[in-house]
Amino acid sequence: MSGFIDSLSGIALDLFPLIWSGIITGCLYALGALGLVMIFKCSKVVNFSHGNVAGFAAFLIYGFSSGMIFQLSWGAAVLLAIVAVVAIAFLSYAVISPLVFESDLTATIATLGIGLVVQGATLLIFGADIVALDLPVPRFSTSILGLRITGYDLTVLTVAVVTIGGLFFIIDHTKLGIAFRAISSNAFAAEVCGLNLRSVHIFAWVVAAILGVIGALLIVPTTFLSATTVAAFMLQAFAAAVVGGFASLPGSLIGGILIGIFMNLFTFYVSPEFSSTFLLGVILLALNIFPNGVLAKVGGTRV
Amino acid sequence: MSENTSVLSAPKSVSAGGLPFLSARVGMVLLVGVLFLLPFVLKGSWVFTLGVCFANSIGVLAVSVLVRYGGEVSIGHGFFAAIGAYAVAILETRIGLPLYASLPVALVLGVAFGVFFAWPSRNLSGIYLAVSTMALALALPELINNADAWTGGYEGLYVSKGIIPGLKMSLQRYYVALVLLIAVAYVLARLRHSRQGLVLLLARTHPAAADAFGTRRVWARVAVMGISCGIAAVYGAALAFASSTVSPSGFTLWSSIFLLVGSVVSFYGLTLPRALIGGVFLTLIPLFLSGSGAWIPVLYGLALLGVILIGHYAPKISELLHGRSKETS
Repeated sequence: MSGFIDSLSGIALDLFPLIWSGIITGCLYALGALGLVMIFKCSKVVNFSHGNVAGFAAFLIYGFSSGMIFQLSWGAAVLLAIVAVVAIAFLSYAVISPLVFESDLTATIATLGIGLVVQGATLLIFGADIVALDLPVPRFSTSILGLRITGYDLTVLTVAVVTIGGLFFIIDHTKLGIAFRAISSNAFAAEVCGLNLRSVHIFAWVVAAILGVIGALLIVPTTFLSATTVAAFMLQAFAAAVVGGFASLPGSLIGGILIGIFMNLFTFYVSPEFSSTFLLGVILLALNIFPNGVLAKVGGTRV
Repeated sequence: MSENTSVLSAPKSVSAGGLPFLSARVGMVLLVGVLFLLPFVLKGSWVFTLGVCFANSIGVLAVSVLVRYGGEVSIGHGFFAAIGAYAVAILETRIGLPLYASLPVALVLGVAFGVFFAWPSRNLSGIYLAVSTMALALALPELINNADAWTGGYEGLYVSKGIIPGLKMSLQRYYVALVLLIAVAYVLARLRHSRQGLVLLLARTHPAAADAFGTRRVWARVAVMGISCGIAAVYGAALAFASSTVSPSGFTLWSSIFLLVGSVVSFYGLTLPRALIGGVFLTLIPLFLSGSGAWIPVLYGLALLGVILIGHYAPKISELLHGRSKETS
């Protein structure tokens, strides 16, 4: 009997830290997924360049702060990188905008082209080397009920809550957010009512790009930075978006956290070598069981 | 997703231009004849490169079929190509079967996996297929590397068994790829005019009408994916035979995206010359840029965007130039 309880508590001891760190990384996947869903909701385009642009931004921050391009403070480097990414978002939308209203399939293929260019530019400017990019987070760690909580965890949680809360506030309560929701639910009617589709599309692209940068910045300290890491991290974001239904912002938040937890459990209990295959399985399963996302079953969609 | 894909079929005037049908056929025969005679004039390394180029052309056709008939885009066709390539390589190294025995196996496996992966997204818009094939392409390298007892892991496998006795192996690699390309292009040309092909096109352009005629859209979608993935498996088999090696580095997400680039550059064409344009683009540009690899994605990306924008603006510009007004649209 006591052996049984011991093994149970052993599982719980493993399980709680796994779930906790899954929630933390899940918040980051959600940040990536929210960007994809924002763009998809209003323009029906899947932005395959999302990961490449976010990775490029992480490299820019490295270049601006390490003395490779400039020797700036961390905050200034981040600001500069965000300016660059917003410029890229404008540029990408300028290329895609003639296609968006004609064929969303062609526009989606065009985002692959943008992704290729950005990926190539990353390789050309920064090379294929692996670099370390750290976050200036407080070195702090405490233990609550056997959970080790670090400064990094709290930073990620705070940033994610503030960013996502801010985004939902904008979408729920501002004029721009209402326009975004109107265009997402019926673009034609919204245009008839005098809303400018293009400005809302640009809003979505810019917000998505900034979310991507934040996600990339926060995920890099857990691994390292190379020309492919952030793009690979976007597979998790895509999986999160699919689990959430691809057209629901709260859904993609829940999808991100679910993917974070499942990934952690899978790599710990089954195998760390098949993580992409596992995500593939999750995507296929989610498409079969919840074609419209986990939230659609429970109740109507918000936003 | 595919309500309005008129851009995709933009350059209609090229294929249906003023040339009479007969001279188009003569041109095709001439092209095939020239391709058959090329190895007698070219150096050995070019013969090898062209063999790979023909194989890549088959891959371009596989992606174009999916876009044309299905109105969908896959960025994971490298997976199905890998199925074909590894089927050929494993059957040869394990039980010594040559290509003519392993090619049908590759084809059947490709179709089966294609249907299997189209199934979950059968009722959903095309973006789900794009996303799930992306996951497929990303999962592929770890699957290959972890099955290294069969696949040879990072090093890969060799394909060295000839199928035409008495012919030099380098020439066999060239001619087998060429014959497979011509066969696939011929089958696709027949499909275009067959009852089944028309049904598939109807299901894509007018789903309601197709429904009324008894063709279910789900069936059409899955069938197109099956055809496309079968061709992709043939591409993999041809590539394995033409390049003599199979390794995971040939089947990454990037190589799948490059196939899509080749398809776009050939304007999603399903004819032999168009496929060759895509294949040449995919084979020769890395060759010329071999010194500076990072330029390849940049160039491919720019070519992709350029062709898409040309496809978008060309009909409008020609409309302006010819002063045609409403009856064309």
